[in-house]
Amino acid sequence: MKRLLMALVLCASLNAQVKLPPYTREVLPNGTVVYMMQRTGLPLVSFRVLVKGGTESDPVALPGLASVTAELLRRGTAQHTAAQFSEEIDGLGGTFGAGPNDQATTINAEFLSKDFDRGLALVADAVLHPTFPDEEVRKTVARRVDGLKSTKDSPGAAINSYYRTFFFGGGHPYGRVPDEASYDRIRRDNIADYHKSMYVGRNLVVIVAGDFDPAKAKARVTETFGAAPAGNAYPFVADAPVPKNNAPRVLLVDKPDATQTYFVIAQPGVRRSTPDRVPLTLVNTLFGGRFTSMINDALRITSGLTYGASSSVQMSRLDGAITINSYTKTDTTAQAIDLALQVLKNLTDKGISADQLASVKAYVKGFYPTNTVETADQIASVLGEMEIFGLGRDEVDQFFTRVDAVTLDQANAVARKYYRSDNLTFVLLGNAAKIRDVAKKYGPQLIERKAKDPGWASM
Amino acid sequence: MRTIFAALFLSSALLGQQDIKTYTLANGMKVIVQEDHGVPNVAMYFFYKIGSRNEHPGATGVSHFFEHMMFNGAKKYGPKEFDRVMEKNGGGNNAYTSNDVTVYTDWFPTSALELMFDMEADRIRDLAFDPKMIESERGVVYSERRSSVDNSNGGMLSELAEATAFEAHPYHWPVLGWPSDIESWTMEDLKNHWSMGYAPNNCVMVIVGDVKFDQVLELSKKYLEPIPRREPPPPVRTKEPEQMGERRVTLSKPALLPIQIFLYHVPNAKDPDTRVLDVVSTLLSSGQSSRLYKRLVDSQLALSAGGYSGDAFDPTLFQVYIQPRTGVDPAATEKALFDELTRLQTETVPEAELRKAKNQMLASLYRRLKTIAGRADLLGTYEVFRGDYSRLFTEDKEIEAVTAADIQRVAQKYFTARNRTVATLIPEKPEVKQ
Repeated sequence: MKRLLMALVLCASLNAQVKLPPYTREVLPNGTVVYMMQRTGLPLVSFRVLVKGGTESDPVALPGLASVTAELLRRGTAQHTAAQFSEEIDGLGGTFGAGPNDQATTINAEFLSKDFDRGLALVADAVLHPTFPDEEVRKTVARRVDGLKSTKDSPGAAINSYYRTFFFGGGHPYGRVPDEASYDRIRRDNIADYHKSMYVGRNLVVIVAGDFDPAKAKARVTETFGAAPAGNAYPFVADAPVPKNNAPRVLLVDKPDATQTYFVIAQPGVRRSTPDRVPLTLVNTLFGGRFTSMINDALRITSGLTYGASSSVQMSRLDGAITINSYTKTDTTAQAIDLALQVLKNLTDKGISADQLASVKAYVKGFYPTNTVETADQIASVLGEMEIFGLGRDEVDQFFTRVDAVTLDQANAVARKYYRSDNLTFVLLGNAAKIRDVAKKYGPQLIERKAKDPGWASM
Repeated sequence: MRTIFAALFLSSALLGQQDIKTYTLANGMKVIVQEDHGVPNVAMYFFYKIGSRNEHPGATGVSHFFEHMMFNGAKKYGPKEFDRVMEKNGGGNNAYTSNDVTVYTDWFPTSALELMFDMEADRIRDLAFDPKMIESERGVVYSERRSSVDNSNGGMLSELAEATAFEAHPYHWPVLGWPSDIESWTMEDLKNHWSMGYAPNNCVMVIVGDVKFDQVLELSKKYLEPIPRREPPPPVRTKEPEQMGERRVTLSKPALLPIQIFLYHVPNAKDPDTRVLDVVSTLLSSGQSSRLYKRLVDSQLALSAGGYSGDAFDPTLFQVYIQPRTGVDPAATEKALFDELTRLQTETVPEAELRKAKNQMLASLYRRLKTIAGRADLLGTYEVFRGDYSRLFTEDKEIEAVTAADIQRVAQKYFTARNRTVATLIPEKPEVKQ
């Protein structure tokens, strides 16, 4: 009886659709898209500026250019030296961060509401008027090269770049990961040129979210970002197919002192705008996106082979990858990878059950409010995604309805369509002397790299 | 000075202090509740005042292992059920163990509130110790150690540094436990740990979110109050003797870059000097205008540098972490750090810089209050470490009260050579090892 009551209450509550609060979207004469979303309560205001392009817009020979440009925005501007800029941000108790993802550079800053004008002026100064002093360029690029060493000392962090370069290859924008050589090629002129063509009105999105006065905010944003040259929107390439394997491919990265093997198993996936995104999110959450997921249950909960095993679906502008990630002690490498493959095969062969689908629907909806609309900066992030990927507010407002509408047949069709167990790409990072024979099991033509060497998977 | 910064003040009204209500159950469990109907969700945190400081040699790491076992089955909800039932009802969880506390964190839609009380009460009262689950979980914990210590240069050096700085006090051993102890924990160790620390009177429950206080009170009385009160863990007797001279230790392992850790003994969370040290750590390492960023990172000596001291039940450590750049002699980064610490001892911190640090601390505290999860964590942490959750609402005044003279005095008192441990990871060529 109690259980039945509980189930009824549950349905009522979970069906209450979370909706985006009211916001405005406006295009300034220079092409800058401006969103404003007011939320009172906490006296904070969040500024989120997006520059379309992201790492996808890195020139082929200069991976890292978008990222270095973003890092340097605050290191010398028309109004501030690097030191003055940092004094200002820190003195206001503000935050300022900048960096690219696959398709956009995000500049994210937050200030107390009373500092709205000073905060916005700082953000606009950095985004629109950086001076890229030679000395700062030199220091930043040199630090990045050492940063790669620090990354390579951390196997869990390094494997991601090995996987990206190996799976996508240098012919695909997602496979062009900065390395020692590409950082070395970046010059001040490259950075200044990139900024001049990309940080322009038609390529900018400015989102103001939090507690602020909208009329005043509109005036300030128009004065600052509205004065940027219009320029041109970044011409994204129409498509870039994910390389398809004709046979399994294996990369083995040697770190002789490693006591556990880190591994990624990758296959082609989808893009953010795929019509399958809701059922695929549900299926992947069941497969490897929550604690009791099939893959974590098998590798961690039941067998104790690892502290964590997961899968993720890349949700970028272009088609990306679906990856399984985990690690295990050196001598259980084969056991863990075999088990991961078995779980993958079970998903495609047997599909999921009605109970599993009901469970994952409740889970995804249960976490949606705190992941998406709890804070003003979360909402700013959602608005930015909508703009970059050309999605409507129904993405949020209809989310629960769309989750509810997914049928078991649809979920299983998506599972069969995207999760395949043939011609996979494997990346193993560990003690090669001890796991080389294991690695060969998954693909006869083994490619090897050493973690201490410069570069990633490509030669 | 080009820039003048006004002081930030937190107001308890804005922080929503008036919405917080507390209650102590008959069995001694303290309940702290804040209603917040912004999202239809709840953060439910349990702070058990037991951690690795309550362990003994041979069973180090058992607090953390126990934390894992809390998810592996009780009387009503068997192995795997806690997570399965929770996720099926739209919730999720995590937990963490430190030297001092073990904290269980549940996040779920309001509709699962009663269920969560039922499941939490079940595992607090009637945890099962399934031998099969113990063995598989042992593998999980060892994998966690392999990731965060054995295959993490920073983790490995930090473990060595702390074991060197503390000779007698239980902060000597790592929260995860020594490898041989991980291999040897027995069911009896787990049971002893449970009976020592998992008494309701040794726990604070914090609930923030879309709930009504009366409803929480009613559910607490129904599910948690019947759990009997027991003796709390015995006091930790051992006090760390005063350090009588600098300690140096090195770790040689294959690595591409060195790492340095500097540790200074400092007081526990309730000591007034701890607030001063919080300001010191902000001055040293918060933001690109901080002293260590400018002196070490911007100057190209280090890839990263930062110092902090956390809240602890017993006297603890102020830690500075530096990763020197390629080709930089660790002696040079060390000298730069010591120069900065000497500057704190010999020169008064300028008023504007002190103002900046205080603003950073208050704004940062403010940001942690944005989410129900952030507030649940802060309320519990202040209750347990500072002795009263309401200290959160006077934090602005405590920070404000710190003067430049306090900073100079505290720097002189703690940042001495004889109070210092220096741990350095020296890279050896990878080929040498195997």
